[in-house]
Amino acid sequence: MKKIKGFLLIGIIISILITSLIITTAVEMTAEEIINKRDNNEYFDTAQMEAEMIIVSGNRKIIKTMVALTDKKNSFVEFTNPQDRGTKFLKREDDLWMFFPDAEEIIKISGHMLNQGMMGSDFSYQDVMEADKLTDLYDFKIIGEEEFEGRPCYILEGIAREGVKVSYYRRVSWIDKERFIGLKEELYAESGRVLKETRVNEVQEIEGRWVPINSVMENKLRKDTYTEFIITLIKFNLEIPEETFSLQNLR
Amino acid sequence: MFSFKLGLKNLTRQKRRNILIIFVIAFAFSSYLLMDSLMNGMEEMSFDNIKNYDTGNIQVAYPEYWEDRDELLLENLIYLNQDMEESIKNTDGVLGMSPELRFKANLNNGIDEVAVRGVGISIEQYNEVFATQNFVVEGSMFAPGESKAVIGTSLAELMDLKVNDYITLLVRTKEDTFNTIDIEIAGLVRAPNPMINNGIVFVPLDVAQEALNVDNMVSLFALKTVSGEEDRIIKRLVESFKNKDLDLKAYSWKESAASVIALSAAKKGGIGAVLSVVLLIGMLGIINNVILSALERTEEIGMMKALGMREWEIVFVFMVEATGIGVLGGLAGCLLGYAGVSWLAKYGFSIAYVGDASDFGVPILDRIYGTWNYPAFSFLFILGVIIAVLSSILPAYWAAHKDPVKAIYHR
Repeated sequence: MKKIKGFLLIGIIISILITSLIITTAVEMTAEEIINKRDNNEYFDTAQMEAEMIIVSGNRKIIKTMVALTDKKNSFVEFTNPQDRGTKFLKREDDLWMFFPDAEEIIKISGHMLNQGMMGSDFSYQDVMEADKLTDLYDFKIIGEEEFEGRPCYILEGIAREGVKVSYYRRVSWIDKERFIGLKEELYAESGRVLKETRVNEVQEIEGRWVPINSVMENKLRKDTYTEFIITLIKFNLEIPEETFSLQNLR
Repeated sequence: MFSFKLGLKNLTRQKRRNILIIFVIAFAFSSYLLMDSLMNGMEEMSFDNIKNYDTGNIQVAYPEYWEDRDELLLENLIYLNQDMEESIKNTDGVLGMSPELRFKANLNNGIDEVAVRGVGISIEQYNEVFATQNFVVEGSMFAPGESKAVIGTSLAELMDLKVNDYITLLVRTKEDTFNTIDIEIAGLVRAPNPMINNGIVFVPLDVAQEALNVDNMVSLFALKTVSGEEDRIIKRLVESFKNKDLDLKAYSWKESAASVIALSAAKKGGIGAVLSVVLLIGMLGIINNVILSALERTEEIGMMKALGMREWEIVFVFMVEATGIGVLGGLAGCLLGYAGVSWLAKYGFSIAYVGDASDFGVPILDRIYGTWNYPAFSFLFILGVIIAVLSSILPAYWAAHKDPVKAIYHR
């Protein structure tokens, strides 16, 4: 009996030591390290994805489905739901093009059009375009820690670096302490007004990385509207032919 | 004299036919006059609406800004300084100057969002140049120092907004970062220029400058000047900018009204086509009349020739008759036109029948008023008579040239 108690005690001590070691390591992480770790977890070389976008505005609910191919800089999205079948988007570095099958025309989305909601959703084209490393654009600092949806999180505040062009002046992110994935993010205007909020409802471990498979984007300037984004299938690090991200492929 | 009297007398021989032709000519002439009046009215009103509510008589901006002015970029802006403002204001012929900061914005009412053009204005200076304040239908323009907005009635209707409601303008700063302007509506305006009513939000200049992070900068100056003197004042301004080593340029309102001017040119083409049709109708009517008269009076022509009347006298008889028809048709047309133009000038023509004129690039709200173009009356009358005379010569000569024997025995 004494032996068992001894083992139990040693076990508890070891667990406490390990836990405190983990906590100490985590607490000592800087905001930049946390963001980088999150970025490393969330970003990938290439991915193929099937997804569903549920746009809710008041009593109206529209479901759009799509397939997407993406690498670090480029993305190609094709809508597959009956109403939008054949509508395609091509993002090549800082440029975005769209193809409407009805008009049979390729349109470059630029200027003020980038502020509009993508396919009527709460994601603006500009949101889709943001691809730069966040730590290059924002000065991050840890402003607190709290539980979000039962998960312990760091709360990080990013303020736009002087002289850089960013859409949102301030962003506050809730990052899962253990899985290093963003669970919630608030995006602010320079005036201090919250413009958008993203929440992750479901996370799944796929091919060794944590992937937010169900997230919701809310435009905080508009009532009763949100867009739910659900990843139904995702595969990482596939070979994507180079011509996938070409304007010819958009037609 | 005999030929002249005979010609006049012949006018009364086929009363019904002549009256019909006179009416056809009168109808064609009056249609032309009405169209001319309406088109000129549309042009005049369009130009006034551009000058009085959008551009002023002259706009001053950097050429780089001017080239891409429709993009409403926050680049190549003018840094306000007193010396520059004084120099523009004191230019001979300049009656008022309004600095404006134009920017893209999304107007948000909490439920919906619509893209609009934001205009930051200094209200006192704006009122010196533009007449918008006279068309505030609810509330008022914001007072100096007041942080409120003014929007058009159509926009308010679209977004279900009233005076004292709060709106959010989502803008992008000079650094391309989102910012918001949360502001109360001070007044609703229904100006004769539909563009003002449909898609513009006026806010105080300092509010716009702060939200867009552009310091003390503006997109352009809109100037009110003595009308018709624009070109001379532009020369003076350009000279003064040169002396002060400024890269600024001055642009006439005509450069902002290119689409309306193009429309006006197309209108002139259209008017020309109508005039051709009108004259063709008159010519055909008169030629037809002379031929019919000649056919009816073949024996008579033969008899007159047998009695010693010369060919040119017979031609003259027909010419007098045709001229009479031309004169009477022209007079009737001018009278009808006068009545129509009076009505158009007084009551106008509601363009609601043809839809929203701004959709066709015409900056007019709901009624086009006709204008008087007196030279058009005299021009049309004289042209009508000349055409009548000329178009009668050939058929009259054909009639007069007949062999008298064959003509008398004409069956």
